[in-house]
Amino acid sequence: MLTKGDKILIATVLLLAFAIFTGFQIYGFTGGKTYAVIEINGKEYQKITLGKDGPKMQLKVPGVIGDVVLEIDRDRVRVVSSDCPDKDCIRQGWVSRPGQTLVCLPNRVVVKIENRESTSDLDGVSF
Amino acid sequence: MAKTKKIVYLSLLVAGGVALHMVESMIPVPFPVPGAKLGLANIISLLAIVLYGTREGLEVNILRCFIGSFLGGSMSSLIYSLSGAVSSTLVMGIAVKYFENVFSLVGVSILGSVTHNFAQVTVASVILSTFGLYSYLPFLMVVGLFTGVFTGLAANFAKDKLSGSLGLMETVDRRR
Repeated sequence: MLTKGDKILIATVLLLAFAIFTGFQIYGFTGGKTYAVIEINGKEYQKITLGKDGPKMQLKVPGVIGDVVLEIDRDRVRVVSSDCPDKDCIRQGWVSRPGQTLVCLPNRVVVKIENRESTSDLDGVSF
Repeated sequence: MAKTKKIVYLSLLVAGGVALHMVESMIPVPFPVPGAKLGLANIISLLAIVLYGTREGLEVNILRCFIGSFLGGSMSSLIYSLSGAVSSTLVMGIAVKYFENVFSLVGVSILGSVTHNFAQVTVASVILSTFGLYSYLPFLMVVGLFTGVFTGLAANFAKDKLSGSLGLMETVDRRR
């Protein structure tokens, strides 16, 4: 029942879906700027614009029980050292994509990666 | 007379489409992808295109979207289903008219469902003004592939029966 054209079409659609999927996986969503929002105890402490021309620096953030040292490398952030007992925040490694977070619970320091699109003024969307 | 008969037949198709639209909204979707659905009403649009033509397919599909959304849906679902319906009907109409010997109805249906997905994602990303929604597209495309095969097969079986009864009505009419 399936013609040759059908089979080619099915293969094309599968390939295209795979290509778009891998494209998004590799390059992520690169529309608009990404920000690293640093929060201490739920309050915003600093907002840093990331990207290819982003800053290359180390930042000392005063947490609740001690300092958290962040390293910002153009478009990604990690925790270098922290005055907390478990060091889980250091083990989380680099984060760069919107939605990812770095958390140091004892110090109440949270670093969120955001982009402008994700903080839209819509409350909810129905389909 | 022929015109009245055509109107009656197209209205029957619209009614069938609305019924499928309603039934479909009651079936829980087994995929964890928002926006994915079976697309049962696509069977009716395919039939309208094959039996009458692209123009009639568009008429049937647009009417179906309006009535279906009024009966069980919202304003936003009307926008999504209209955009998907119009674009997929146009693509399927072109495929039936010019590539009849390349694609069977299954292929045409797959084309329609992928176009439908693409149009809906585009409209959704314009409304939400984010293009990150396109990352959903691969999942929708793969789901659409399976539902497209299914609706294509269904339309294929229904087509033979319907065109038979259509022809029968025509001959009865001519004898009078």
